[in-house]
Amino acid sequence: MHQDLPPPPIIELIKVSKFYPPDVEALSDISFTVAKGEMLYLTGISGAGKTTLIQLISRMEKESKGVLDVAGFDLGKLNHRSIHLLRRKIGVAYQDFKLLPNRNVADNIAISMEVVHQKKSNIAERVRTLLEQLNLSKKYATLAGELSRGEQQRVAIARAVAHHPEILLADEPTGNLDAENTARVMSLFYQLNRQGCTLLIATHDKSLYRVGNRRIMELRGGRLLSAGPPLTTSNTAAPVVETLT
Amino acid sequence: MKSLSTILQHTGRNLLLTWKPQLMTFFAVMLSVLIFSFFYLTHANALHVGAEMGNDLRLVVYLDENPPPALQEEYRSKILKFDRVERVVFVSSQEAYARFAKQLANDSEVLSGVPEDFLPPSIEVYPLRSLDSLARIKRFSDYLETLPGALKVQYGKEWIDHFHSFIQLMRIVIVLSGALLIITTTFMVAYTIRLNLFSRRKELELLRLVGATTNYIRMPFLLEGALIGFCGSTAGIVALYLLFRWIKLQFTGPALFSVVPFTFLSWPVTTCIMLAATMLCALGSFHSTRPILHL
Repeated sequence: MHQDLPPPPIIELIKVSKFYPPDVEALSDISFTVAKGEMLYLTGISGAGKTTLIQLISRMEKESKGVLDVAGFDLGKLNHRSIHLLRRKIGVAYQDFKLLPNRNVADNIAISMEVVHQKKSNIAERVRTLLEQLNLSKKYATLAGELSRGEQQRVAIARAVAHHPEILLADEPTGNLDAENTARVMSLFYQLNRQGCTLLIATHDKSLYRVGNRRIMELRGGRLLSAGPPLTTSNTAAPVVETLT
Repeated sequence: MKSLSTILQHTGRNLLLTWKPQLMTFFAVMLSVLIFSFFYLTHANALHVGAEMGNDLRLVVYLDENPPPALQEEYRSKILKFDRVERVVFVSSQEAYARFAKQLANDSEVLSGVPEDFLPPSIEVYPLRSLDSLARIKRFSDYLETLPGALKVQYGKEWIDHFHSFIQLMRIVIVLSGALLIITTTFMVAYTIRLNLFSRRKELELLRLVGATTNYIRMPFLLEGALIGFCGSTAGIVALYLLFRWIKLQFTGPALFSVVPFTFLSWPVTTCIMLAATMLCALGSFHSTRPILHL
């Protein structure tokens, strides 16, 4: 009897904890697996540990305990010299955007492609496409510091996806966006997912994850309340852009 | 090639964004190089002066009697055993008399009735024209006094001692100014780049977060340091050359520079100074970028 093999895990956490001195436990015994090509939501109220979890996965922070395996890298054994190999496979849309205010929008987006020495023509084309998709074409040469919060958020997302990452981690990606721009961002996310990108979206916006049948993981007080098994690509279809607009 | 152009582009942008502190570093490097190379130039010319003045330097060993050829050979081999010399000349009593008479010229009649062997025979030892030879001359003299039949050894002891002291002083000054150059250059460059890094910390953090390699982040800063070191040292050498020309012009008339040579540093020396300054500045940059790369 032929049976579909589940996609291999691309993110795997086993009993991961994170402590901050003197005695703050930000995350406690987190275990879950994300399959390659999956798109899932990480929910929870502010301070639940969503951002910390994203920081651990992108190796901005080091776990205090447990095992983290991301895109084939054992993060506990990953040294500084090799960290770029992991980060080139990951795109992160940060909650605080991390834009360079004195550089223009195009430069901000291009930075993630420049570090991997992509061709200038390819970079320019990709930047234009993304700006168009996110309704920012007119802001091409505007300094990032002069943009509204919503525009800055979209630029941060564009930068995170520009280099076609294997994994996209988005921390409250629609927190400052109106319905129309939220739909544009989600449309971009679905498109990436269809292309094989694994997405982990941290949000407390219920309107994003209530529609569709994506896996939802909930964090509360640094503990994972529900994770469930990874969903295969076949049962995670159904883009919800229409519902959102 | 592509990464080189990216690195150059980043270096250019860094320099444009932080030109004020860079300018300060440039002047610090220039001054350090100027101070060091000025003392080096003085030292090198002092050596020339020593070599020129050492042209007539010789040690004269007065002997109790004219040595036969076999003994002359023995003397020669003993002298060469102690040190390499330019030449050794044996002067018999008769030759010494003839020389003396020649020196007296028209007054040579005062020698009438004086026996031709009244002057002692001697060995004239001409040391090599180098500072090391000059430094060893006292020991050489002591050695020559131990030769069999030697009555007395004569040389310009006082002049040699003064010259030797002067050269020793110059050496100390060069070592100190060299150390000053190293400390100033390294610290100035390191701290300018550290300030630059601090002001651009967010950008560098971001580069690290989007997957930039250590070299991608570090290379523009290393290049920046090396460029400042190269430009600063070139400017320092040019300033020294202008100073050299000015000094030479000022003293063209008086006899000083017509008697002793006053020359500029040779190109291998200037190249070495510039390379050293460039390397030191790059080292300062390397040291400064280390903490930021551990993000």
